[in-house]
Amino acid sequence: MLSLPKDLDAVDYSFQRAYVTGMMSLISRLLQAGSEVDDDIQREVAALPDGFVFRMEVMPDSPSLMLQKRDGTLHILPKESPIKSDLTIKFKHVTHAFLVFSFQEGTATAFANDRMLLDGNTALAMKIVRCLNRVESLVLPKVVAERAVKTYPDIKLLDKLQLSTKTYSKLVSNLVKEI
Amino acid sequence: MAKDYYEFFCPVKIVAGLKALEHVPYELSSHGSSNPLIITDKGVRSVGLVDHVTKAMDAAQVSVAGIYEDVPPDSSTSVVTQCARYYREQGADSIVAIGGGSVIDTAKAVNILVSEGGDDLKAYSGAGNLKRPLKPFFVIPTTAGTGSETTLVSVIKDDDTGTKMPFVSHFLLPDVAVLDPRMTLSLPPKITAATAMDALTHAVEAFTCLAKNPVSDSYATAAIKKISENLVDVLNEPSNVEGRLELAQAATMAGIAFSNSMVGLVHALGHNVGAVAHVPHGVCMSILMPYVLEFNLAERADTIGDLLLHLAGPDVYASIPSTQRAEKAIERIREMKEQVYSICQLPRTLSETGAVQRSDLPKIAQMSLDDASMLLNPIDATYEQALEILQQAF
Ligand SMILES: [Fe+2]
Repeated sequence: MLSLPKDLDAVDYSFQRAYVTGMMSLISRLLQAGSEVDDDIQREVAALPDGFVFRMEVMPDSPSLMLQKRDGTLHILPKESPIKSDLTIKFKHVTHAFLVFSFQEGTATAFANDRMLLDGNTALAMKIVRCLNRVESLVLPKVVAERAVKTYPDIKLLDKLQLSTKTYSKLVSNLVKEI
Repeated sequence: MAKDYYEFFCPVKIVAGLKALEHVPYELSSHGSSNPLIITDKGVRSVGLVDHVTKAMDAAQVSVAGIYEDVPPDSSTSVVTQCARYYREQGADSIVAIGGGSVIDTAKAVNILVSEGGDDLKAYSGAGNLKRPLKPFFVIPTTAGTGSETTLVSVIKDDDTGTKMPFVSHFLLPDVAVLDPRMTLSLPPKITAATAMDALTHAVEAFTCLAKNPVSDSYATAAIKKISENLVDVLNEPSNVEGRLELAQAATMAGIAFSNSMVGLVHALGHNVGAVAHVPHGVCMSILMPYVLEFNLAERADTIGDLLLHLAGPDVYASIPSTQRAEKAIERIREMKEQVYSICQLPRTLSETGAVQRSDLPKIAQMSLDDASMLLNPIDATYEQALEILQQAF
């Protein structure tokens, strides 16, 4: 069912930008940590070429996240890093990134809805999308995650990642205000 | 369920029907072109299909800059640069591609080089790396299947690395696609069947996968109807001009549908059956389609049920309770496969191809998980599920 925000004028792009920036940094950290401890993420990362750089950004130029595979795991690169990415996913607008990172639109649906552009090797993109799905399903409670991830995987990972419930409950409470 | 958001784009002029080839000179002149290079392959040329086009052009005093006929079935960067050089030597001002998927993909890539200059095709690989319109580009398909005449993608093998490089840009779309039944009339039954089943798969996947939208749905369903009504007739009577034209239009319409709504698991698996065992693409599609639809039933029963109207017609559709339509639609595709098999022995299973070994299946399943077509399938298949589908189809 289509539903529109109760008050269209109330769309707060600066809130969305701040939220997306926060989520991108959280997801970067989860991907980095996941690549060290989680079997599923490790299996995907193992198949990436060494030195592989993945970047996700919001057009025209911010916010963004950038990760590089080095020595078998993912490492966060600073935003201003001059390294050229091998795979880039670009959201066309901050509001589309917000839809995805607030779990209102899954990664696959966002592609299906032309919310983002993909540049790079598609086989490697599929591995990254699976890593993102894996991580996204951790960030919010299961009931919300099911909207974002097409097919929900079994998760027993939260403890391993030592992700504090505080971190995401804070995000959730921010979300509830917006949706 | 209404689609939250979608985009639809198809700027290709479709010139279709009887005596369509005779419209080519006018279309060329309306694009300011007077000296086109024809790009084709030896097979197409040897059966006289290029002559149909050049004769129609001669009669309207349009001469061609040259005919490049050396496109192999699996085109590569060296072919593209060689062809671009020939275009420049001949002083051509536009491209007319006459052939199937490989010829059309090659011509798209040649158009990049001759429009942008230079020989460095790799610099333009990937998505969105072209920023302006290219030279006038016309496509005359000689198979009714790939839909390449309406897609914005070209895939070319890199001779240096052996990998397949994709090129994706709206500027790769042809200006004009010409569908004339003369061009597919001599296609042997087995190739007719395989390419039509590819087109059917494009329409079925565009209609059942995540990026479906109301506009592409209308192209997809019309294509499905044309293929179900005409394929068997054409196979029984290859010189059936009307039926040939219906299949050609169906392939183009299915191409429009999937270039906007993409494909799914049939293609994800089929691409890799093709890569591992060198089974023709359309054969893979025909084999796998019913098994994948069964797998997708869990998420898409209603949508698959809707296919029945277009696969079997209103009387059958109305006679089947809505809860059984999806199974009936899949059954109808199986019937088509049986009919096609009895006429031209198009393989119904992977083992019937004689090229796929049971021991290949794990590798194919593994590779399929990384195929981009998996992304928009309604269900993300796991390795075990992909393997299970392949085993069923074996
Ligand atoms: Fe196909």
